[in-house]
Amino acid sequence: MNQIAENPFFVLGIGVDASRIEIEREANKLLGMLELDFAGAKTYLTPLGPRPRTAESVRAAVAALRDPYQRLVAEVWARHAPASQVVAVEPEAPIDDATEGARRALGWRP
Amino acid sequence: MYALPFILFMRLHRAALDARRKDRTWKFLGWSAISGLLAAILIGCLLFATVILFATGLWWLGIPLLALFLIPVAGTLITRHALVPLGMYRTAFWIGHFTSVEDSDAMALVFSAWALSHRPSTAGEVWIAARRDRRRPLGDAEVVTTALLASARGDAAGARQLMRSTLDLVEVHPAVRELAGEWLACDAAERGAWHELAADAAAARFPATSLTYFLEGVAAQRIGAANAPNASTLYARWLFAPHRRATAQWLTPPRVVSNSQSVETVIAATEPAPDRAPLPRAVAAHIGLAHKASASELAEAVGAWDAALADEATRAWIARRALELDAPLGAAERALKDVTRAVTDELARIADGARLGAPSGRGAVGNELARRLRHGRLDALEQGFSRWEARSNTGQVLPPIDEWREWIALRVQYDAAVTAGGLDLRRLAFPHAYKMGNSMSAWLWNTRSEYALSHAIFTWLLGEALAVGDTEAIEMLTRNSRLAVSTRTGRVEFPKS
Repeated sequence: MNQIAENPFFVLGIGVDASRIEIEREANKLLGMLELDFAGAKTYLTPLGPRPRTAESVRAAVAALRDPYQRLVAEVWARHAPASQVVAVEPEAPIDDATEGARRALGWRP
Repeated sequence: MYALPFILFMRLHRAALDARRKDRTWKFLGWSAISGLLAAILIGCLLFATVILFATGLWWLGIPLLALFLIPVAGTLITRHALVPLGMYRTAFWIGHFTSVEDSDAMALVFSAWALSHRPSTAGEVWIAARRDRRRPLGDAEVVTTALLASARGDAAGARQLMRSTLDLVEVHPAVRELAGEWLACDAAERGAWHELAADAAAARFPATSLTYFLEGVAAQRIGAANAPNASTLYARWLFAPHRRATAQWLTPPRVVSNSQSVETVIAATEPAPDRAPLPRAVAAHIGLAHKASASELAEAVGAWDAALADEATRAWIARRALELDAPLGAAERALKDVTRAVTDELARIADGARLGAPSGRGAVGNELARRLRHGRLDALEQGFSRWEARSNTGQVLPPIDEWREWIALRVQYDAAVTAGGLDLRRLAFPHAYKMGNSMSAWLWNTRSEYALSHAIFTWLLGEALAVGDTEAIEMLTRNSRLAVSTRTGRVEFPKS
C-alpha cells in the first residue's frame, strides 16, 4: 500500500490541484517545522491511518511532484482515494476465553 | 500363589482403563471410578504388605515388591505428580518401562520427554534423542517424544503439528495417544480454541484422559454444542480430573472483559458507493483490503480494478492530465501499465499472505494475478517435492523422525496452496506430488523398512487422488495403502476390497 501510505500529496498534506509554488512553499514550511521539532508536523494523515513524517520523506515527496510523470501516477491514487476522517472506534468487548498459561497449569509445557 | 489375586486385580485395573479409552459417555466416569477403586485397593494392600515385611525385618523383600507391583498401578500418577514437576527424566524413563507390558520403551520415552519439558537441558535432550533414534521403524511414540522435546524448547506450534500428525500413523500405543490428546486439549484451552477441541472430541481422534474428558466438556459448553454436559455432569468430570485447582476456573462461563475506553483513529470511507466512478471505486476497494483481506474483498478489488483500468473515462482523464502536466510523450500509457503492475504486485502479496485463491477476474489485473498466484504456488510446491524425492536417488538418508518432519512440512505447504488455489490448482499440483510421493514412499518401504511412515504417505496420496479423480493413481495407491503394516503393537491389516 505504498502508493497510498507514501503518496507525496499525503506526505505534504496538500490537495492534488496544488500548484508547483504551493508545493515548494508547503515543503519548506514542513521542513522548518520538523527542524523545530513541532509535534503537529511529525505525522500526516492517509486513508490507511496516520503515518510518521520525516524530513527525508518530505524531500522525497517534493522531488517526486517536481517530475510530471511521477506526479501523474501519484495523482491517480491521491485524487481518487476516499477522504480520511478521524472517528472514535469502540473496541469490541473481548471475551476472556483464552487462558494464558493453561498448558503449564495443567502439567504441560511450554 | 499369594500374588495371584493381586495380579488378577492388576489385570482388572488395566481392563477398566482400556474400556474407558473406548467411551466418551457416562460410562467413562464409571470406568474411571472402577479403575480408581481397584488402584486404591491394590496400593492399600501393597503398602500393608510392605509395612509387614519391614516390621519383620524383611525390608530387602519389601523394596522390590514395591517396585514390581506399585509402579505398574501408580506409575502414571507418580510420573505426573512427582517426576514431571521435578524434571526427573531418567527416573521417568525407567518408571515408564514398568507401566506398560507391550513395547515398554514407548511409554518410557514419552514419560522421559514429558519430564524433561519441565526442566529442559541440552544433555537431557541428547540422552532422550539418542534412545529415540535407536528405535526403528518410526511410530507414534517417537513422534510424541519429539513433540514434547519441541515443547521443551518452547516451540508450541511445532509440538502441536507433531502431536496432531500421529493421527496419520497406523502404529497406536493407546497410552501414548492419550497423552498426545491431553497435550492438545490443554493447548486448545490455552488458545481458547474450543471449536477445535470439540471437533477432536466429536471425532474421538484421541483416547481421553480424565483431564481431556473434562476439557472436552468445557469446549462443548463454550461453543453451545447440542451434546454439551450440564453443570452437574461437568462438575463430575472435574472431580475425576487432575489439577482441580487450575481447572476450577472453567466450571463457570467465561466473563466479558469490560473496556469502556474508545480509541480515536483515522479511517477512510472504504465502502465503495454504488454511484462512484470506476477509479475511485477501485482505489476504495484496494484500501479496504488493508483492513480486511478476505476472498470476497479481494474479488471485489480485482473486479473494480479491471473495470477501472478498462474504462474509457479513466484513460481519457489520465491522457488529459498527462497533457496538462506537460508529461513526456507516452506517459499516459506508461502510467496505466505502472498502476496495473503496482496493483497486481500488491494484490498478489495480500493474497499470498492471507492464503487466498485467485478470483475469477478477466481483465488486466485479474488475469495476471491468477497466473502469478498459480505459477508461484505450483513452482514452490514442485520444488519442495522434487528436493524431497531427490534424496531417494542420492542416498542421503535422514533419521526417520526427520523424514517425518520433512513430510509433514511438505503436506502443510501443499494444503495451504490447494486451500488458496482451489480444485484447479489441486488438479495441477497432484500429478507431481503423486510421482514424487509414490517414489519416495516406495523407497521408505523397500529400502528403509519405514512401514508406518510409508503407509501414511500412500494413504494421504490416495485421499488426494480421490479428490482430483485420477483413476490410475487411485488404483495404484489403493493397492499400496492396503499392504499390511508391521508395527511394534502388532501387524495392521486392511480390508482388500
